Amino acid sequence: MSTAGMRRGGTALTLLGLLGLITLYWMAFFWVPTEVNQGVVQRIFYIHVPAAWTSFLAIGFAALASGMYLWLRDERLDRAALCAIEGGLVFATLVLTTGPLWGKIAWGTYWTWEPRLTLTLLLWFIFIGYFMVRNATEDPEKGKRFAAVVAIVGAIDIPFIHLSVVWFRSLHPEPVVARPDGPTLPGDMLLTLLFGVLVFTVLFFGLFLFRYAVEGLRAEADLRARSAA
Amino acid sequence: MNTYLRQVWVIVWKDLVLEMRSRERIASMGAFAVLAGVLFNFSIDTTSTRPQDVAAGLIWMTLIFGGLLGVGRTFHLEAQDGALQGVLMSPTPKDALFLAKTAANFVLLYVVSLLVLGVFGLFFGLDLGPNLGWVVLVLGVGALGFVALVTLFAAVSTGTNMGETLLPVLVFPLLVPMVIYGVGTTTRLINGRPFDEVEGNVRMLGAFALAAVAAGAVLFRYVVED
Amino acid sequence: MKKSITRALPLAVLALAVTAGAVVAQESAGMPQATRLAEQNLRPYWHVFAAYALVILVVGGWAVSIARRLKAIEERLVD
Repeated sequence: MSTAGMRRGGTALTLLGLLGLITLYWMAFFWVPTEVNQGVVQRIFYIHVPAAWTSFLAIGFAALASGMYLWLRDERLDRAALCAIEGGLVFATLVLTTGPLWGKIAWGTYWTWEPRLTLTLLLWFIFIGYFMVRNATEDPEKGKRFAAVVAIVGAIDIPFIHLSVVWFRSLHPEPVVARPDGPTLPGDMLLTLLFGVLVFTVLFFGLFLFRYAVEGLRAEADLRARSAA
Repeated sequence: MNTYLRQVWVIVWKDLVLEMRSRERIASMGAFAVLAGVLFNFSIDTTSTRPQDVAAGLIWMTLIFGGLLGVGRTFHLEAQDGALQGVLMSPTPKDALFLAKTAANFVLLYVVSLLVLGVFGLFFGLDLGPNLGWVVLVLGVGALGFVALVTLFAAVSTGTNMGETLLPVLVFPLLVPMVIYGVGTTTRLINGRPFDEVEGNVRMLGAFALAAVAAGAVLFRYVVED
Repeated sequence: MKKSITRALPLAVLALAVTAGAVVAQESAGMPQATRLAEQNLRPYWHVFAAYALVILVVGGWAVSIARRLKAIEERLVD
């Protein structure tokens, strides 16, 4: 796809995502019934879980692109990884801010060393490490390789971190969707949640394409600057 | 013995001989560990905390900080006088080089971790009894995972202009499983629990170490290429 | 005459503020239990709104930052 195509696709997807976001807000505020035990604060769940899903999607996607970059050495794969990591950082920040807002009401404390919240915090630091490595390297080619290694090792380590923090302590509500015996969430809430996941995924890919188009143009500008010099 | 193993062995031997002659890293790590034990002794109030409850955490944290100090400098000496280029240009496969560096660092860190165990046992009055062998094993498994991960990222941070200051930012998030399983296991063993109770954790620690060694062996070539 | 009014005005405002403050303080001190409970129950709503506003701010912020970078690079390309 050309850069212009990327931009068109990015615009279309982002607009679709924004439309979806408005619908999601309407569903979450007016349509879905209030959960009995937790009350109104449970509504944070419809943005918290989709944001978490998106940030893990981002690291998976970035690790895949990084692995392919190390193998094929196509600049586009490195750009894709960079843009996905940036999006992951944005959505992980959302998880880390909406989670405590919910936790203060539900648990009475802003922060607990709850497994999935801890995992997201560590993921956030892996994203930060990715940018630090990239920016601290004088030779850009080297920085790309180093950053790719950070993304891949981070993605491999996530299952280990997950298992260990779960073993360490669990306070978080049990999974309500991905369960072997089927979801326990009532239909309306499940629908709102799944719609939220869809909307956030569309928004992520829309903005990702936009961001990717920017990187493509930057590479073009750098190339022109080099040939002019 | 096949060529691959001999190449690994040659580099391990070279690094260990170099270390035995200069004693640069082992001396700083050992001194750091003992002095950290002294400081930790004053940092806990023994009237409110039982030393055997916190000793495991302190042992592992000393290992991590001391290990970062020593293992983080793996490529420092060689990068300084350009010897790393020589090693990289030799026909040795890059994964053999990584495994050798990891093995040499492991020997170094394991010696220090046994020293830490002995010194902290003395300082905090730990009585390990029949669990001593298991604690020694757990420290070894944990040290292997740590060394593999830190050796890989030491190569990364040596190549950046931030140097060693970048290393903790990169490895601390990744070391969480090692800390949780290592400390959890060691605390229970110090408190005289049977090994059966922590066997699952030791397996996880082993899986972590294996994954770290494998990932390092595969990815190391991309870090040091050119 | 006019001068004394301008001088008195701040004093009057201050007096009014103090009285109003005292009245409010007294009212809230004697506020019925039920009203205070209702006020406490508003807190979850506040958290929900904050969370939903954060999504707009953070995602919107990212979109704006991308757009700004895009503009900067387009200007560079035109030159």
